[in-house]
Amino acid sequence: MTVVVAQEKKPLIRFDLKKCAFCKICELSCSKYHYKKFGDSISRITIIRKGPLMFKYFICTRCEKRFCIPACPTKALSYKDGNIVVDPKLCNSCGDCVKACPFKGIKLHPETKLPLICDLCDGDPSCVKDCPKGALSLVWLPEARK
Amino acid sequence: MKYGGYKGKVLGINLTTKKTSTIEVTDEFARKYLGGNGFAARYLFDMVDPRMDAFDVTNIVAMMTGPFQGTNAPTAGKYYMATKSPLTNGYFDSVSGGFIGAQIKYAGYDGILITGKADKPTYLFVEDGRVEFKPAEKLWGKLTGETQESIKEEIGDPNLCVSAIGPAGENLVRYACVITEYRAAGRGGVGAVLGSKKLKAIAVRGSGTNEVADPEAYEAWMQWYKEEAKKVPAISTGLPTYGTPSLVASIGKMLGAMGSYNHQTEFFEDWENISGERLKKEFWDKDTACPTCPIACSKVFSAKSGKWKGAISEGPEYETIYSLGSMCGIDDLGAIIKGDSLCDEWGMDTVTYGVTVSFLMEAYEKGLVTRENTDGMEFKFGNDDLMIAYIEKTAKREGVGNLIAEGSLRAARIIGGGSERFAIQVKGLEIPGHSARALRGMALGYSTATRGGSHHDPRPTGEYAGVSDRKAVEGKAPWVIGTQQMTTIGDSLVNCHFLERVLGFTLTQKWVDAINPITGFGYTLEELTDVAERILDLERSFNVRVGIRRKDDTLPRRFLEEPIPEGPSQGMYTDEQTLNRMLDEFYALKGWDPKTGIPTREKLTRMGLEDVADCLSRSGISP
Repeated sequence: MTVVVAQEKKPLIRFDLKKCAFCKICELSCSKYHYKKFGDSISRITIIRKGPLMFKYFICTRCEKRFCIPACPTKALSYKDGNIVVDPKLCNSCGDCVKACPFKGIKLHPETKLPLICDLCDGDPSCVKDCPKGALSLVWLPEARK
Repeated sequence: MKYGGYKGKVLGINLTTKKTSTIEVTDEFARKYLGGNGFAARYLFDMVDPRMDAFDVTNIVAMMTGPFQGTNAPTAGKYYMATKSPLTNGYFDSVSGGFIGAQIKYAGYDGILITGKADKPTYLFVEDGRVEFKPAEKLWGKLTGETQESIKEEIGDPNLCVSAIGPAGENLVRYACVITEYRAAGRGGVGAVLGSKKLKAIAVRGSGTNEVADPEAYEAWMQWYKEEAKKVPAISTGLPTYGTPSLVASIGKMLGAMGSYNHQTEFFEDWENISGERLKKEFWDKDTACPTCPIACSKVFSAKSGKWKGAISEGPEYETIYSLGSMCGIDDLGAIIKGDSLCDEWGMDTVTYGVTVSFLMEAYEKGLVTRENTDGMEFKFGNDDLMIAYIEKTAKREGVGNLIAEGSLRAARIIGGGSERFAIQVKGLEIPGHSARALRGMALGYSTATRGGSHHDPRPTGEYAGVSDRKAVEGKAPWVIGTQQMTTIGDSLVNCHFLERVLGFTLTQKWVDAINPITGFGYTLEELTDVAERILDLERSFNVRVGIRRKDDTLPRRFLEEPIPEGPSQGMYTDEQTLNRMLDEFYALKGWDPKTGIPTREKLTRMGLEDVADCLSRSGISP
């Protein structure tokens, strides 16, 4: 199933630091959904801990500027229906998109070396669904900002 | 490897030669020993001469995972460490929360076996199949938090998982722990053995994955677990809201079974001051979880006012509120939070530290030690400054800290004057906050546990829940055996023992149903029970070779002779005669010799451990 969204609407996985308990279930839900395997290096969401009270999350934010698209030398990335889409035929695994993303929302798959970018799991993000603390939510911009 | 949840190999590390090796994990081995606890018990029995000192170069440290690690199964975010303990001299294991267990799997291993001794401070960096012995001179002397951060920075990977020892481990404090993030493989001195090997830390990062044998059955089981967990109030609301400190009210107040003033009483008058409710209301900052745990019982607490304002820690857990709080007669939660974080940072077990300090406080009260041999300090109950100050001194073995670093049993033998009577330990391991007097099962459980005074060999939970009558003597032996089997399987998988609330306080079909989808073993309950018994017999045989016999399966004299003096459990205790009656039944059911407590050849053979029986015969221990 593909989510069809109006041009101006933008999905965002929002993170609530107050609720997050750093259990990393989101990372493994992501890898399980996409690869039927468990591993944080193949997860499109990453949570790291900095000190007792600070956790940070990294995921494609679907930012306005989409730094990754022009950074790609082979034009393998495009924006479609709210997602950055990778064309595996064009991608040369150079990693320029990883470096270009200021939000650290992209990493390369350790085996295929293709960029791992959140695709919202066909509209029903498994990280959001499985978070036991309700720290992740799927919101739609710009409405959610109001 | 045809089974799920395994990588099929263990990484061997020789610190002396700086060489690595690979130990194959065969299908048969995995099925017979399951993982974590089972693997380590076999490796230690085969590789360690139990008669040697724990700090000898021949001791090993097994850092293991089980089939759970790396999956998203509830409470799979654990790792398991085992060694010959410098505190008990016996087989010892410690389980901690931390994503490093998963990373070991992702790096392609089921565990790491650390042997030998480095000539200089070293840390290990394992990345997928690659191992580096890194210099750690600059990290030597550093606290555990800074050590972890420095290594993450040096390697340049914030996702790196680091398990580190603190100065207490370096200075061979007999109960030094291993810290990963903010959680501890706390008890029994695994950190001290690493210190003796000059291994400051183990850093692991893997880019691989872990897979289960039957993804559909696994998914169905996960859904089942989620639904069942909702029905258990402790798991769905109690622990998530208050964490283990909620036990202060239920054990301390309701049951009057929270050891206080070195167990001169078990009713702490000021329980309300150290209660979980108060912690939550006045000190709570954040819920945290071990990886993949939906319960998130861990909490970050900080002191917002008062004498210890600014103190912050992930914790304290109930056991620490007991050891640093009620045992030392301290009712200031700020001091307990401060002590909790300092013990983590300097790298030592809060339980043994607190119980040893409370032991010294009683010895001081009785005049067995005086200011002349306590650095001129007033070792009085309630002295929070002293409890805090001696964490660092113990880690550095300064002054009377050098005595505290030995634990309560060794301290009692040095002090003399009959003080061993009130050293609150079994086999050298200090008893945690679950009463051996108010819970009959814990009297037998601590006495017979491989580790001694550990509430993670037998479990108190079923008696608190009333599933087993806490006062009954009849039926207690099979109950204790059942809980010990359950924890052994839990430590092999490796999971948190809180799963017991959903899967059973003893081994049940529910445990079998949790294991089979991941591994594909198709275990029956009977086969799983045999796995548990096999592991327990191996641990016991290791301890038998150390010299442990039935005479050592006992409790501190105080518990055998002095009833609880007041409160809701007033009058309760287990006298020697009653303990012996339960022990007779226990050994008969286990297939251990009733006179000596040594596993019989018949039992070992039935468990597929003929070689162990042969080894005991060769050593002249059994016929």
